[in-house]
Amino acid sequence: MILPLADVPAPHIDYKGLSPLIALVGGTVLVLMAALLRGRFVQRSLLPLLTLGTLGAAMGLSIWVWSPGDHRPIVESALEVDALALSLSLVFYVAGIATVLLAHRSAALSDAGAGEYYTLLLSSVTGMVLLAEAANLITLFVGIELLSIPLYVLCASQVRRRASLEAGLKYLVIGSVGSATLLYGLALIYGAAGTTSFAGIDRALGDTVSLSDPLLLTGIALACAGLAFKASVAPFHQWTPDVYQGAPTPVTAFMAVATKAAAFAIFLRLFDSALLSAQFQWAPALAALATITIVVGNVGAIAQDSLKRMLAWSGVAQAGYILAGVVVGTQKGLEATVFYLLVYLLMNVAAFAVVIARERVSEWGDGMRALEGLGRAAPWLAWPMTIAMLALAGFPATAGFIGKFYLIDAAVDGDYAWLGVVIVAGSMISLVYYLRVVAVMWMGPMEVRLPSLPGRPRTAKPVGGWSPEADAWAQPEVTLVAVACAAATMFFGIWPNPLFDLVADVGTSLASLVG
Amino acid sequence: MNVVWFLCLSAVLFCIGGAGVLIRRNPLVVLLCLELMLNAGNLALVAFSRMHGNGDGQIFALVVMVVAACEVVVGLGVIVGMYRNRIAEDVDAMSELRG
Repeated sequence: MILPLADVPAPHIDYKGLSPLIALVGGTVLVLMAALLRGRFVQRSLLPLLTLGTLGAAMGLSIWVWSPGDHRPIVESALEVDALALSLSLVFYVAGIATVLLAHRSAALSDAGAGEYYTLLLSSVTGMVLLAEAANLITLFVGIELLSIPLYVLCASQVRRRASLEAGLKYLVIGSVGSATLLYGLALIYGAAGTTSFAGIDRALGDTVSLSDPLLLTGIALACAGLAFKASVAPFHQWTPDVYQGAPTPVTAFMAVATKAAAFAIFLRLFDSALLSAQFQWAPALAALATITIVVGNVGAIAQDSLKRMLAWSGVAQAGYILAGVVVGTQKGLEATVFYLLVYLLMNVAAFAVVIARERVSEWGDGMRALEGLGRAAPWLAWPMTIAMLALAGFPATAGFIGKFYLIDAAVDGDYAWLGVVIVAGSMISLVYYLRVVAVMWMGPMEVRLPSLPGRPRTAKPVGGWSPEADAWAQPEVTLVAVACAAATMFFGIWPNPLFDLVADVGTSLASLVG
Repeated sequence: MNVVWFLCLSAVLFCIGGAGVLIRRNPLVVLLCLELMLNAGNLALVAFSRMHGNGDGQIFALVVMVVAACEVVVGLGVIVGMYRNRIAEDVDAMSELRG
């Protein structure tokens, strides 16, 4: 019985190309094993260092194995490495590193156990990298589940807080509905095309399959709905504010950036490469979704008083902007999408880092009032938040402006000029809530509540100088993340050439778009 | 036998599952309905695999089974956590977070 099996042709595996994934999986197992050792040093220092080391090693390997213009399969017809996969993997690694730093003093760490927390984070990153390198429908589905399932647990990881558990269950139910819808859509696409590989689907759409085949169209619609759940595109966004608010804030930051980038990675792979021939069928629908998302997200964010909810709604709106880059289905659209995702990482992580820093010391938690008077009390936190808000709104001299400009340019170029107008209109509405945050920080009165005597509560203006509550360096790693991300946002806003060079490589990575 | 019948059955299963997630209130039943939705996808995959005469769909279905099991494990874990914290076992009562 052994001999016939020996004849099964094994797929070609390029172990060098696979090494970042091997490093990630190895690191995950290592962290899980090391967590068995009890002891303060291991739990507080060794585990985060191991996690950071794993992410750093994977990042280094990704850059090492990659050469410009590269496009090759690493596991025959299942995974392939190209500039798109590499640049989005960088987003996932950086988001992972930032999350480890932000979570260092988080309550979720002691509730869930540091080892479990970091293991789940690493497996989620593995899923994202798998997703970005996917070359067929099966890898796509495995990747999306490998990234989602650990995130469900991470959302619920503050097991003693009701809201965290509630967020976990809500995310699980809604995420699974999204996965099931996606799966059904993928099954129908497979049924229509007769193959699961993206290249094969692209070829089949070219000759054997009619582009108005109802099976194919239903499949595309269901897959689109399923991915819209993951990317929090309206009208599939209702879970976003609840889950973002309930989850531990470092996890929220990770979800906001990395999950969104992963969802758009697969939007790009599926729609702009496998299904590009059917573009005239899906592009109008996606354009309509993008418009709804931009309007709903921006209007929803205005009335929010919790910073986490506000950032969640703003994330919905940003997903709409990014979707515009997918709709046009051109090389420029692809470049603009990836550019915006890179920039979005920096802006959003800076904003969430400040929210985390304030949430831990302020009596207002993640409420808008927690930022009151921050401009004077802690400029090291106030400046990053200001830069992040201005960049998210798309102010010139920040990277957000260039990202938005690129997207609008791509939309106009791809005959979707009206979508560019929608992006501009959405940005104008968004000023209402982004500038409100800036105003609260720099213009609000700063009051310190004194221990209340019987009777009315007393407040007083501080005389100035240092106060333990306002000390930005009491949590150096959080302040460091905020300052570094804000500085990078400014840097790439003034000198974006390195990012332009990177996305120019990405533009040539999807063979279907070149030419 | 025509593949259309298998597809009809899988579509009906998918709709029953979807309706169950929307209507039922008990988180355990909601999880059950999610399984129904995933298995409807499996049935469609296997039917198509048979129709096209290649194994891709069947391998996909096997992978989906593993994933579905993982999802249920996590779901049950979260529900147990909620019971321990004495949170009502009714999804309508989960309104700490208001959207």
